[in-house]
Amino acid sequence: MSRRTFLKRCGLAGLGFAAPIHWQSVLSAPQTSSETAGYPGPYYVVFNASGGWDTTYLMDPKGVDGINRLYQQGDILTVGNHRIAPIAKHIESGMSNEDFFAKYGPELRVIHGLDLSVNNHTPCARYMATGKLDSLAYPTFPALVAACHGAQAPLAFLTFGNYSATGNLVPMSRVPYLQSLRLLARADSVEGGTHAYQDAFVADRIERALEEQFQSRISNARLPRVERSQSMLYAAQANSKALERVVPFLPKEPSKERLPQQNDIALAAFKAGVCISANLSIGQFDSHNNNDKDQMKLIPELLAGIDDLLRKAEQLQIRDKLVVIIQSEMGRTPTYNNGNGKDHWSINSIMFLGPGIAGNRVLGGTDEKQQLIPVNAQTLECDKVEGIRIRPEHIHQALRELANVQDHPFSQRFPLEVPAKEKLQRLWS
Amino acid sequence: MCEPSQRVESFWRLTLPWMILSTICVAWMCIWMSDTARGDPHDPVFDAEVWAKIGERTCLRCHNPQGEARETEFILEKTVDRFDDPQILTRNRDAFESMAKKVHGDQSVLLQKVVGQLDHGGGQVLKPESTGLKILERFVHQTMSRAIEPILAVKPVFNVQNDAYKPIPFFHGVTMLSASRLLRRVTLSLAGRLPSDEELKRVEKEGLSAVDSILDSIMQEEAFYERLKEGFNDIFLTVGIEDNAETLLSYDHFEKTRLWYQTHDFSNLPEAERERAGWKLAAVYRDALLREPLELIAYIVRNDRPFSELATADYIMVSPYTARGYGIYDEVKGQFKNSEDPFEFIPARLHALQARDGKVQESKTGLYPHSGFLSMFHYLRRYPSTETNRNRLRARMFYQHFLGVDIMQLAPRSSDAAAVAAKFEIPTMQAADCVVCHKTLDPVAGLFQDFNFQGELGPRKEGWYKDMFPSGFEGEELPEDQRWRATQWLAERTVKDPRFPIAMVEHVYFILVGRKVLQPPEDIDDPNFSGKRRAYLEQRRMITAAASRLKESGLNLKEAFKAIVSSDFYRADGVASVAEHPERQAELDDVGVVRLVTPEQMERKLSAIFGKPWGRFQEEYKILYGGIDSITVTERNADPSGAMGAIQRIMANDVACLNVGLDFHRPAAERILFPGIEPSVVPGDESSDQKILETIVGLQEKILGHRHRVDHPEVERVFELFCGILGDAKAQPNYEPRETYFCGGREDFRVEDPHYTVRAWRGVVTYLLRQHEFLYE
Repeated sequence: MSRRTFLKRCGLAGLGFAAPIHWQSVLSAPQTSSETAGYPGPYYVVFNASGGWDTTYLMDPKGVDGINRLYQQGDILTVGNHRIAPIAKHIESGMSNEDFFAKYGPELRVIHGLDLSVNNHTPCARYMATGKLDSLAYPTFPALVAACHGAQAPLAFLTFGNYSATGNLVPMSRVPYLQSLRLLARADSVEGGTHAYQDAFVADRIERALEEQFQSRISNARLPRVERSQSMLYAAQANSKALERVVPFLPKEPSKERLPQQNDIALAAFKAGVCISANLSIGQFDSHNNNDKDQMKLIPELLAGIDDLLRKAEQLQIRDKLVVIIQSEMGRTPTYNNGNGKDHWSINSIMFLGPGIAGNRVLGGTDEKQQLIPVNAQTLECDKVEGIRIRPEHIHQALRELANVQDHPFSQRFPLEVPAKEKLQRLWS
Repeated sequence: MCEPSQRVESFWRLTLPWMILSTICVAWMCIWMSDTARGDPHDPVFDAEVWAKIGERTCLRCHNPQGEARETEFILEKTVDRFDDPQILTRNRDAFESMAKKVHGDQSVLLQKVVGQLDHGGGQVLKPESTGLKILERFVHQTMSRAIEPILAVKPVFNVQNDAYKPIPFFHGVTMLSASRLLRRVTLSLAGRLPSDEELKRVEKEGLSAVDSILDSIMQEEAFYERLKEGFNDIFLTVGIEDNAETLLSYDHFEKTRLWYQTHDFSNLPEAERERAGWKLAAVYRDALLREPLELIAYIVRNDRPFSELATADYIMVSPYTARGYGIYDEVKGQFKNSEDPFEFIPARLHALQARDGKVQESKTGLYPHSGFLSMFHYLRRYPSTETNRNRLRARMFYQHFLGVDIMQLAPRSSDAAAVAAKFEIPTMQAADCVVCHKTLDPVAGLFQDFNFQGELGPRKEGWYKDMFPSGFEGEELPEDQRWRATQWLAERTVKDPRFPIAMVEHVYFILVGRKVLQPPEDIDDPNFSGKRRAYLEQRRMITAAASRLKESGLNLKEAFKAIVSSDFYRADGVASVAEHPERQAELDDVGVVRLVTPEQMERKLSAIFGKPWGRFQEEYKILYGGIDSITVTERNADPSGAMGAIQRIMANDVACLNVGLDFHRPAAERILFPGIEPSVVPGDESSDQKILETIVGLQEKILGHRHRVDHPEVERVFELFCGILGDAKAQPNYEPRETYFCGGREDFRVEDPHYTVRAWRGVVTYLLRQHEFLYE
């Protein structure tokens, strides 16, 4: 077995550790992209507006019955097929809906009337992230896609918060600071500098000894946990060397804002081919008090963060490889509470853009009470008679298909159980 | 053609064995069925299929004596954690059979209810065509058939076990840690040190029985209490307060005292130093305040007090600094051994709090009604409330922390939560989908009603909400005359609840093993469901046994540590042979500690082995290496990512760099790593090779905890590494005759290394520090 093949297999060994792994199963795992060039894309980014966004101030405007206090029905704007809330005059910083949809509306696909079935943060966040409400075991979509497409990448699944369960398919990576990434990229040099700890022949000897040891242990009888963890450890150390590739893509000056800081790390990792997916997050959307003030601060920050990612991706020439999912774990009620806030609402919306996703399209809807309107899974038209309630499992099924991982053994290990007649047909076209 | 007599003989020869076999089968069926009919507690069919896959997971949620369906005639009992009463399963089976026999129209009531018909309060709980419904249909069919026809007419309809798999005793073939390796695990895990020679000798002499008493002395060590506090912070996260810690003490009640440090007299210091000293004083004070909840835990355990005081303690812990914040320093200062020590904690009680307007908190005792964590400002701040949350987060965390119940874990799906919210005036009290949780949660939320959103004493001006279930606990309402001490009232009931000791053992398990206890398997279509459920039940048996030991000891938490350390689950180390069958693999899937060492533990481990900590896991790499900040990052990484793999490489490189040259620089008698060898020893002759091999054995024992023979393959591998490095060095055109500046030169010396052996040994130590045995517990 060549060293390259061996390393690749070790990386794969890190994948399937939810069930006991035998070397045979590792060998039969699907192969992924070239290890030398790194993962070539597409890259998956999930933006989380953590806490629950007010969709009526973003992409599902309602100007009736006091659902909002900042605009009237007649003020609602249209950009292509999108209807958006007019917020430009209410924000102090960040990006307005008007600017965001003018720039990205032609690429954006929006789904309204997403039924979460419950309205508490924890289960909603879990449901939105995994497509499964009643299980703690399921991986989030970015974790699943990272596992399927390249768990051997050292930062396969990056997360900056929000629900990040991995289903034991791939380790999650937390790299909060750019400087940290710089140090990690030069792990064999003193203080990340130019002086190596070991002479090259010593370092090579150490790696070979570790490799031989790992190989020798494959045939030993071990407890499943031991077996998995040894594979994981070896893969983590061996694959971590690929982090060196990140260095040229690290910006000289770190960004100051919350999402751009996360964008910088994720984009450098994508460009270097060491990352498949990233879970980006900003919090404080849970506006039980002073809803309008909070949402008018946070929605523009979110949109500006997405814009920042896409602009920088353009500069790095990977913009056409970015699949972006923009979500929050819940919506907010159509009424205000006594504290001028809005509480949790189980009807939500979600937005997508990226390769394979036709834009300027809006699916589903909500009525004047912010209740969902069912959607015909075949025609994708609103259909109160024959339609289904679109739930996160429908979206995740479609996402798995978009990422071409729906038949992967890891996906099959975590089935979404969407009946054939409920699968959203041609959702992305 | 045969003669008649031959034909008869032939007939019997062919038929008799079948008749005997049939008779045996019928007899077995009779026994099995009659056992079932008699109520034999061991009914594997009902247990493995109907109960495990439907009853326990679905029906029990409401159909229990306290549940939403408690008024119905279909009442079930929890079996998990009730291993002392095997008749429960029989009673549950009887309840199922009784419902199965009830008919409405031409179909069993049971089958109609589960699909949401006949006004089932829980709506549809099993989908048509689902595995669960099929199991129930078979069960009903069998029950109905048995009711109509005698037992023999009924054929078994369940496939109880996978035919190819015959369960064996759960730990059969699992090898356990030796007593000495178990000792190393617990000393490193709980005391951050290696076993002493004396402890090792005791274990060698007395075996496992010595570990229990050694644990008693380990649990006297200060390092154990550091570990204990760290472990419980992983659970309660009370260190995770975002604001300055003095804001825990409300402005309304501690206005005059909480900022005492601002007026501290620094006149004894030069003026230029006073500002900096003030900052330091504030930082230390805040640190001490944050430590108080965890110090309560340490105090309870250190003094062998019942761990129920976690909820019932009628005192808090204060230090000389924090006592000043509460304004009670003068009252308690005589009790401190060193009143200058900001981290000396003693128990103390607060008087009933007096607000700025002069109003004093209602209290029949004149004291603040302390009730352990439940009335601590830290705990209440860490889990804040809002106008609409109404203390529900606090109630949820109470259930999770004190009774081991995660209400949000498997939130029941509402058919249409938004429609329900719109339809009902008070959904949490009227809509069945909401009531199922809120009936339990909201009464407890009401018990925290005297605390405001930030956790300060501050009852709501408008009074507590009327559109919530009244304050209480598990069906018992809070009497009005107990309202002033509501959290104490709650605590008294909590610690009597049988779930309390189990929850505490689960906390200890989490601290020792680094992961939560197993949850019951979810997917009933999983072919390994039975194996996973068996693993779950075996672990529950261990947990409940440990909880019994804890209870019998008067809730001395040390007993829970000892119970888990001595369990097969903690000691499991390997398997004698590969478990081939998938079901057996599923059974063993979670067995063994195999825990990635945390950043904090890693520092202690490095310190124990090398005599000093590395220092970079505490701050620089803490979060990157999967640690927590208790605020935004609250769960540790269980598996190493590539980023963590890079940190392991950095650590191995740097620790070896810092220690190998330094060790050779010391006199041989003072060395930690290389007491028996000099850099001048190179391989080639027998004596030198032997010295090198013995040094490798010593290093492996010290760093990895394995004592191998010199001919062990792992020793040989390291020997080859050492020799290979030297060979490669020799093959170079030239090399520096001394260690690098960075690996020795940063000290006040520079190690000469003419043979390259120091660097080769550094390579060996680097290699060892990257081993699974070092990085995992």
